[in-house]
Amino acid sequence: MYAIVRGPLVWIAILVFILGTAFQVYRFYALTRRKAALALAPVSPPPPGPAPAEPVPVVEEVPLSLVQRLRLSILGTSPVTIAVTSVFHVCLVLLPLFVLGHNVLMDMAWEISLVSLPEALADALTVVVMAGGAFFLGRRLFYPRVRAITSAYDYVVLALATTPFVTGFLAFHHLFDYDTVIFLHMLSGELMLMAIPFTKLVHMPFFIINRFVLVHENSFGRGGHRVWR
Amino acid sequence: MNDANTAAVDCEAIRAILDQRKDQMQLALKVCAHCSLCAESCFLFQVHDGDPRYMPSHKFINSLGKLYRRKGRVSREELEEIKEIVWRRCVLCTRCYCPLGVDIPEMIALTRSICRSQNVFFQYEDLPQV
Repeated sequence: MYAIVRGPLVWIAILVFILGTAFQVYRFYALTRRKAALALAPVSPPPPGPAPAEPVPVVEEVPLSLVQRLRLSILGTSPVTIAVTSVFHVCLVLLPLFVLGHNVLMDMAWEISLVSLPEALADALTVVVMAGGAFFLGRRLFYPRVRAITSAYDYVVLALATTPFVTGFLAFHHLFDYDTVIFLHMLSGELMLMAIPFTKLVHMPFFIINRFVLVHENSFGRGGHRVWR
Repeated sequence: MNDANTAAVDCEAIRAILDQRKDQMQLALKVCAHCSLCAESCFLFQVHDGDPRYMPSHKFINSLGKLYRRKGRVSREELEEIKEIVWRRCVLCTRCYCPLGVDIPEMIALTRSICRSQNVFFQYEDLPQV
């Protein structure tokens, strides 16, 4: 079992993650089409007539200041959650790529590696991810509005996302039986990778697609260019 | 498996409507992270003192989400409950905001269509008379 988790399952997990995500993105493109440019009929000028006695008053739109706009956004309504979720997600996605141990394994497998973070910093960021996970668990358990839409599935997904970091922390500090902990670390990491395209974790690629590619009132960037068929 | 009394509902007709939009809607339901950050964007949530039932995600999870989970097999009583959600707890003002870009009004509008297909819809006579 250990040999499977350490060997073939790593490649299977990476393949499932890449192919599964590619499939979801392909399906999105199959279900959408490029938005056609608006074809407007030319507007003919109004017929000449007597000039209005009084000019129609024009109400000037006063743009909101940046501070006002931020106060109205979710950053203004939920500042703590937005701060925690931003840090949590950045660390969750990037940290595994820049951990020394992972880079050593990549170097052994492919003879390539990325820049490695100092081990103390990687360890501290792992604690940040675990603290973020604890924050989300607390919201699910104690915040009425989150509890109202929480099911067992949400706890499973939260566990899937955070277990690789908890076990990575335990393995780094050699807490509990190392062999068991590192086995669980590899297994949980592989399960998380494979779960991304097929569970709620699919919000990872679709955050980008929904906000940058779809034509949407709240699109970022140039406003998106695809609409549902 | 559910034991809803579906005799008075044309479940096949509901299923047909659900299937037409299945890929898009099930993707939207899946992308929802159940984060509750959409709550404050609903003015009805705010005027009801933060009652979670008025949260946009709570509305689509318990209406369209329920219809997909049940594959359209719902009772007339359940359709009446869904009617309450998609007409009385939502006015389709389209102001709800999802940080993950889920199109919530589209989901509520589809649910209303499904209710109408079963002759379930909001009537002003349903409102308490004052």
